[in-house]
Formats: sequence, C-alpha cells, structure tokens
Amino acid sequence: MVVKAVVLFITVVIGLYLVIMIANMGGHLDDVRRAEIRLGVATGVYMNPANQGLGSAALKQLTEALVVVQYRRYGLDRPFWIRSIDYLVTAITLDLGRAEYISSDSGSKEVRRILAERLPPTLILFGTASLVLFFGALAVALFLSRRYGSILDKTVIGLAPLSAAPGWFYGLFLILTFAAVLRVLPWGGMVKAPPPKDTLEYALSMIQHMILPVSAISISVFFASVYSWRTFFLIYSSEDYVELARAKGLSSRALQRRYILRPTLPTIITSFMLMMITTWMGQIILETVFNWPGLGRQYLTAVNLNDTPVIVGTLVIFAYLLAGTLFLLDFIYAIVDPRVRVAGGRR
Amino acid sequence: MENLDKVLRVEDLKLHFRTQRGPVQAVDGVSFELERGLATVVVGESGCGKSTLSRAILRLLPRNIHAYSGKVWLNGIDIMTLGDEQFRRKVRWVQMSLVPQAAMNSLNPVLKVGDQVAEPFLVHGKAANKKDAYDQAREVFRLVGVSTDFLERYPFELSGGMRQRAVLAMALAINPDIVFLDEPTSALDVLTQTNIMNVLKGIKRDLGVTFVLITHDIATSSELADRAAVMYAGQLVELSDAGHFFREPLHPYSQKLMASVPTLREDKELEFIPGQPPSLLDPPRTCRFAERCSLRFGKCDEEPPFKDVGGDRWVKCWLHV
Repeated sequence: MVVKAVVLFITVVIGLYLVIMIANMGGHLDDVRRAEIRLGVATGVYMNPANQGLGSAALKQLTEALVVVQYRRYGLDRPFWIRSIDYLVTAITLDLGRAEYISSDSGSKEVRRILAERLPPTLILFGTASLVLFFGALAVALFLSRRYGSILDKTVIGLAPLSAAPGWFYGLFLILTFAAVLRVLPWGGMVKAPPPKDTLEYALSMIQHMILPVSAISISVFFASVYSWRTFFLIYSSEDYVELARAKGLSSRALQRRYILRPTLPTIITSFMLMMITTWMGQIILETVFNWPGLGRQYLTAVNLNDTPVIVGTLVIFAYLLAGTLFLLDFIYAIVDPRVRVAGGRR
Repeated sequence: MENLDKVLRVEDLKLHFRTQRGPVQAVDGVSFELERGLATVVVGESGCGKSTLSRAILRLLPRNIHAYSGKVWLNGIDIMTLGDEQFRRKVRWVQMSLVPQAAMNSLNPVLKVGDQVAEPFLVHGKAANKKDAYDQAREVFRLVGVSTDFLERYPFELSGGMRQRAVLAMALAINPDIVFLDEPTSALDVLTQTNIMNVLKGIKRDLGVTFVLITHDIATSSELADRAAVMYAGQLVELSDAGHFFREPLHPYSQKLMASVPTLREDKELEFIPGQPPSLLDPPRTCRFAERCSLRFGKCDEEPPFKDVGGDRWVKCWLHV
C-alpha cells in the first residue's frame, strides 16, 4: 500500500513537472519575461522627466541597475531549472500563488481560494455519476448475465457502441431534448437563480440540475461497462465453485451474491478504475456544456485568459484527484480480494 | 414400494445437449441401481459421458439442453418429478453431494474455507447460527484429517491435497446418502492420492456412505470399489461386482480397457484400442462399440440390451445374451 502511494506520488510529481515545463515553454517564457521587464524599465527610465539631465551612459547604467533589481524581484536572476524546481515544490505543496486575471466569487485572487470554491461542485457531480454508474451497471450486468442471449441482453449489448462518444456529446442532445424542447429540466448550472435559502430546497434544486449531466456521463460509459462486466460475470459463473455451490443447494440469490458477484468484484473494480480515468478527462468539456461551476469549466476559462497560475493550480488539483481515486480504488480492491490483502499484510 | 436397500435407481436416463451441429447424446438411456453403503467406480474414456451422468443425476445442467428425461429414484422418490426449489431443499447436499475434480477451482477464492464448509449447515437448517455451523465444520474436518486451523484460511493458502480434503469434508458435512466423486484425485501426487483414498475407505466403513467414484485412474480406484461400471459413448456397457470385474471383465470394451492399465513389475504388453469412439452427434444404431470390436459378428448391427447375466453382473453385449 505504501509502495503504491509512493508510486502514485512520483507519477503526480513527474506529471506536474512536465506541465510546468510546458506552461513555461521549457524556459523560453523566462526570456520573454526578461525582455518585457527590460522594455518596461527602459521606457520608465527614459521617459522619466527627473532623468532628463543625465547622459546616455548614465541612463544606460541606471537602466541596468533597475533591471537587475527587477530580475531579482521576480526571481529571474536564477537559472530556469532551479526556478522550475521551485515551481514544482510550490505546486505540490498547494502553495498555488495568485491569479493574474481570475478572481474567486468572494473576490480573492488567491488561486487556492478560487479552486477551493470550484472543487466541491466537481466532486459532487463526479461522485454522484460514479456511484450511479457503478451500482447501476453492476446490477444490470448481473441481471443480463443470468438472461444471457435474451432479447433484452442483445439489445443492451447492441447499445455498447454508444460509449464511443464522450459524455458532453450526449449532453448536447439531452439539453436540446429536455431543456429546449420539453422544457422539463434546467439548461445548466448547479442551482436555480436565486439560490434557495432552505437547505432541502437547495438540495432538491441541485439534484434537478444534476439529472442531465449525470445522465450524459452515464450514457457514454454505462453500456460499455455493462457489456464488459456482464462478460466477466459470464466467465466467472462457469467456474467450478459456482457449480459446486449450486450442488450445495444455495438459493440462487445467495449463489449470485457469494459465488458470482464476490469473486468477480476485483476484476470489475479494475475495469471501473480505468473507466474513471477517462471520465475525469471528459469532465472539463462536460462542465462547460452544462455550465457547471466546477474545476473543469474553471480550467477552460483560465486557458482562454492565459491565467498560468490558475491553469497550473487546476492541473495540480486534477492530478491529485486522479491519484486519489486510483489509490482509493486500490484500497477497495485489497478489501474485496483476500489474495492481495493477505500477501501484503498478514503473517 | 421401493426397495430401500437400493439407495438410487436410475431408469433410462437421457441427457442430450443442443449444439450448432445438432444434438449430442452425452448420456443416452442409462439404467442402473446402487446399493446402500457400497462404492461404485465408473470408468471410461474421456468424453464417454461419465461426468455428464453424475451431472444429470445431480441436476447440474448447462443451458444448452436438448433432452433430459428418465426416472431417478432416490430413497424411493422419483426426484425427476420434483420442482427446482424442492429439489434444492430436499435433494441437494442433503441426500446427494459432489466432490469435483481436484483443482484450485472447487473453492471460492474470496471466501474463507470455513465459511464454505460451514455453509451447508446453515443453508439446510442444520445449524442454529454461524458459530454452531463452524463447530460442526470443525468436526468434519477432523473426520477427514485436516487441521481445523485451515477453516480460518483462504483456499489459496492451502495445498492441492488439503483443498481436496476440505472439499471432501464439505461433501460429507450434512451426512448425505450418496457422494459423487468426480475424479477426486486426478491432479494430485501419488502419496496424496493414496492418502485421500484411505480417508475415503475409512469413511465408507464408519459412516456407510454410498460413493460413486468417477475416474479414469482404474488402478487407484480399485482399492475402494465394491462395484465397477463401464461407460462407452454415452451408455453403460457393464456393471459388475468389483472383484469379478477386475479379474474377468465381460464386455469386449471392458476387457480392452483393463488390458491397457499398467501393472507394476509385470512384463505385460500394454494394449490400446484402435479407432475412436463414435461421434455422439449421430451415434450408430448398431452396438456402439461394434466398429472397434475385434469380436464383432452379425448380430452386432443391432443395439444389444443391457442385461442381467447373473452373479450381480449386467452387460450390454450380444456375446452375453
């Protein structure tokens, strides 16, 4: 478990370093900044009426002195590779600095505050979608594995190619159908405006706003997972111990739960884990389509505004969330599979 | 009234599978009787339907059934007429249990061995609670000579021989009338095989359980057998008292089969049977062994009956009519 955590952490660090390198164009951005500073300082010095009487050599000298001060102020006097390590450390420790253009709803320019406001909506949407998907697909897959070859089974399996398109793609259709034409569900956002004061009403409004995005994610992932999980169930139900359990006289419910679902669960969790990674990636556009005030939409806004601290900050949070998801699922995996648990711990 | 000394009587049992190329007659018109407390060994080549016969009696059926008929009297009741739920409650494990082939796969890898061995007590209401079931499981573990510590372990922590004995303990748990052993020792080493055979002998002597031992290991199983049955191409061709059978098999196929068993330190030319068993997709209407039989004569073009030839011996061959 510790090893796993360390490996995940190293992955995050490498990923972040690459992001920092790219966001700074491999150090080229420093040259741009130096040139900008030099231009600014020089303009200031030459245009300053107080400097009118100085000769060109003195002006040059003054400019150079001020440029050095400015370089030091921005840390540009040090080579880029040292600065890149600094960036990395501040990113990993979530010391995300100040945004250039974007500010939080409460008016703060602290990137940390901005992201803290955006994180809960993303977690709520992603968490709900994951739970709905996991248990929904699990139940349907188990059901279909028992009715293997039936018309229902063939229909659901036939729908598996729907997963070729990402969630936001279906989001557009859902919005068109349920918001534009039928007018039964909201177009987007997280709660109605103005937000209800009552907690229960607030929650209900949020659920109402969540129906479409959750459905969009589900449509894109549900059928493919049902397809593969049903196949896992079919494979595992032909194991000898399932037949033996049937011979033992277990009721079909107990048989399903203890002898088919339980042994298949580790495999399903692995598949779910891989699926969740793709879903995380789709979150950025999905939130934009549904105007959901989460990290994904924030990221797109930051990219459009070239707000580097916010971009890096969002990516840091995303990296941590992804690693966290993987770690959590690995943990669950160890709980459901004694072979992993015992080998790693007991005795 | 059925004779209760006959714990099982099977009459014209058929199990045909549906395949893309047509129905496969895996078990075709098998009839026999089992006496209480005796061990019967069923031998035959791979694919002759001996495992399928046990599955047909235990109603462990695949999806692709084409035909499933016949009568199976168990303790005087025709269990083929029972509904699935009744069959589960009254027959499964209570009256008939199964020990499948020695393999990693007969125990659920994610449940503790103890949970699986104690399960029959709980399912069939023989234990008040889990603790009681575990106590009884401990007893059957002692019976088959496995340390009760293993109850707390997972299957992958046990060796092949231990696992097989745990499964045997499970099969004996709630004291069934008949235990089907489907090649219980075939994946184990010689010492473990002998060990398990000895355990089985002890149990047969002490508990009076009726064993049906399906195997192709004729040498090892002869230790335990009171009676021997030979299957060929989905049919029973010989059923005899074991002593007579091993000395002097009657059916030409049984003779060839016995001649192919190696014996220690005896300079004997091992024989094999030329040709292959007929396809069960469309088996010949003749005697099914006729094509490979060296003693074939005119009558063999018709299917012979499975007949009592006296001395507790049944043979399906025109030579013994």
